[in-house]
Amino acid sequence: MAGLFTMAKKEFLDIIAEKKFLLIFGTLLIVILVSTFQGGLEYSSSQSSTTTTTTAPGGQGPGGNETRPFQMMGSVSSLSTALSSMVTNFSLVGGVLAIAISFDTINNEMQRGSLKTLLSYPIYRDSIVYGKYLGGFLAITLVSIVTFMAGIGVFLSVTGLALTMDTLLRLLIFFGISLVYMAIFLAIGLLLSIVLPQPSTSLLASMIVWLSSIQLIPNLGYAIGQILYPVRMSFSEGRPSFSMQSGFTTIRAIISGLSPSTAYENIVNSILTTSELQFTSSQPTIVSVSVDKALLTVAPSIIYFVGLLIAIFAVAYILFTRQEIR
Amino acid sequence: MTSVIELKNLTKKYGDLTAVDHVNYAVEEGEIFGLLGHNGAGKTTTILMLLGLIPPTEGTAIVNGADIKENPLQARRNVGLLPENAGFYDNLTAKQNLSFYAELADVPEKVSSDRCEKLIDMVGLGDKRTVKVGAYSRGMKQRLGIAQSLVREPKILILDEPTQGIDPEGTRDLREIIRGLSKERGMTIIFTTHVLYEVNKLCDRVAIMKNGAIAGLGTIPELRKQVNAAEGEDFEQVFLRYQGVV
Repeated sequence: MAGLFTMAKKEFLDIIAEKKFLLIFGTLLIVILVSTFQGGLEYSSSQSSTTTTTTAPGGQGPGGNETRPFQMMGSVSSLSTALSSMVTNFSLVGGVLAIAISFDTINNEMQRGSLKTLLSYPIYRDSIVYGKYLGGFLAITLVSIVTFMAGIGVFLSVTGLALTMDTLLRLLIFFGISLVYMAIFLAIGLLLSIVLPQPSTSLLASMIVWLSSIQLIPNLGYAIGQILYPVRMSFSEGRPSFSMQSGFTTIRAIISGLSPSTAYENIVNSILTTSELQFTSSQPTIVSVSVDKALLTVAPSIIYFVGLLIAIFAVAYILFTRQEIR
Repeated sequence: MTSVIELKNLTKKYGDLTAVDHVNYAVEEGEIFGLLGHNGAGKTTTILMLLGLIPPTEGTAIVNGADIKENPLQARRNVGLLPENAGFYDNLTAKQNLSFYAELADVPEKVSSDRCEKLIDMVGLGDKRTVKVGAYSRGMKQRLGIAQSLVREPKILILDEPTQGIDPEGTRDLREIIRGLSKERGMTIIFTTHVLYEVNKLCDRVAIMKNGAIAGLGTIPELRKQVNAAEGEDFEQVFLRYQGVV
């Protein structure tokens, strides 16, 4: 496609030379390094406590999963617990970075007066929209690679954890999902830059979408769940006790899961969960969770996640290719 | 002579507003064609339709033998455009801007560098070639716009208000450039303007637009004759008669 790579190259070089990009990238890097360092320290201390208290030998549970008697809460889901703040910070700052890159992708060209010139060249509009998105995507890929390598490097050096194939696979999936997450916000910014003619308005709208994703939608899920399935309060022996109805959890999970940030955290936490508690006998046991099983559990969320990205980009693409440039 | 642009009932409507109203004319090869009219007369809309940036509501146009509705990419393959209020990438120098457009137009890298340098010199920006465009004045950007429109060596050049923001000396230089491109390279040039003096000095033929329609079409003497202008009557008066003002 003529012009696609020319556009992508220019967009990428423009983005990485921008001060706002370097500022947010730097912030993300620092936040991730600090959180993985802290997570690594906590992981190390929980592992040493677990080692001293584990007494019973492990066995083979159903499906070939390794089981052992439950001793310490700290040993459950260790990788996801240790990297939880990295996940949270990535969902916060990563989203902002993607928006900062894309909120003025098209309307800035309009404001500058260069869009008519671009479109007067013998290239399809597809090349412009794909090229600009590809340029932005390369920039977030660069950010993700640097951030992940630095963050995971710090985590491994602090914990002294050996990088097994299983851990590596989980981290690679974590990386891929993070890339898709940022790509969603990149597409949201692109879409709003096509729909809204002023960059200031599209920035504001993008920030509202981001805030909705991290705060409003999850809170909405909680509120609607409460309305439909109120938490029941009862008194036993003079003390109040609260019981949640199962519908509340389902409704909250469905609505919150619509938020890209919540969906991202849910998927990544599941992927990074290496073990979980199982109450199959009188004594709770810790069961290893294989990558396959974790992927299967979050498959609907992953499909939603990728579908959302494709849908947002498709809308942006259709609107741009049909737009009248006056 | 061969027609390189042919407008056939070209029409653009926005709801009840007719921006361009069943326009028919042809522009011959090597001609300097002026498009005149008040603000909102439909000049820019016509140009944007010729480039496929706006789809016509009715009718069509043939540019370089290609129908703008059926094959807009082919239609603009040999067309250079200087849009109204042309903007550039402020973080790049003049040469970097031109090189980017040359790459978009598939100009080979070996040819591109030399061509960009020559165009920068031609528009009088040689001493500012290393300065980032963000520091350019409006007039300098307009000169760079001319260079940009020529970077792919088009057969047809469309200039929308090319002298806007340029000082008198720059306007004179631009006139010479336009004349040179037409005479030496046989380039077909269409330009819109409000400056009637330029039209008088440059154009082989002129179309006067009023409320989206063609109010007058022909050479300057033909246009004068059509409204029975007195000998020595200013062309501005002639133009205003077409607009129904006098």
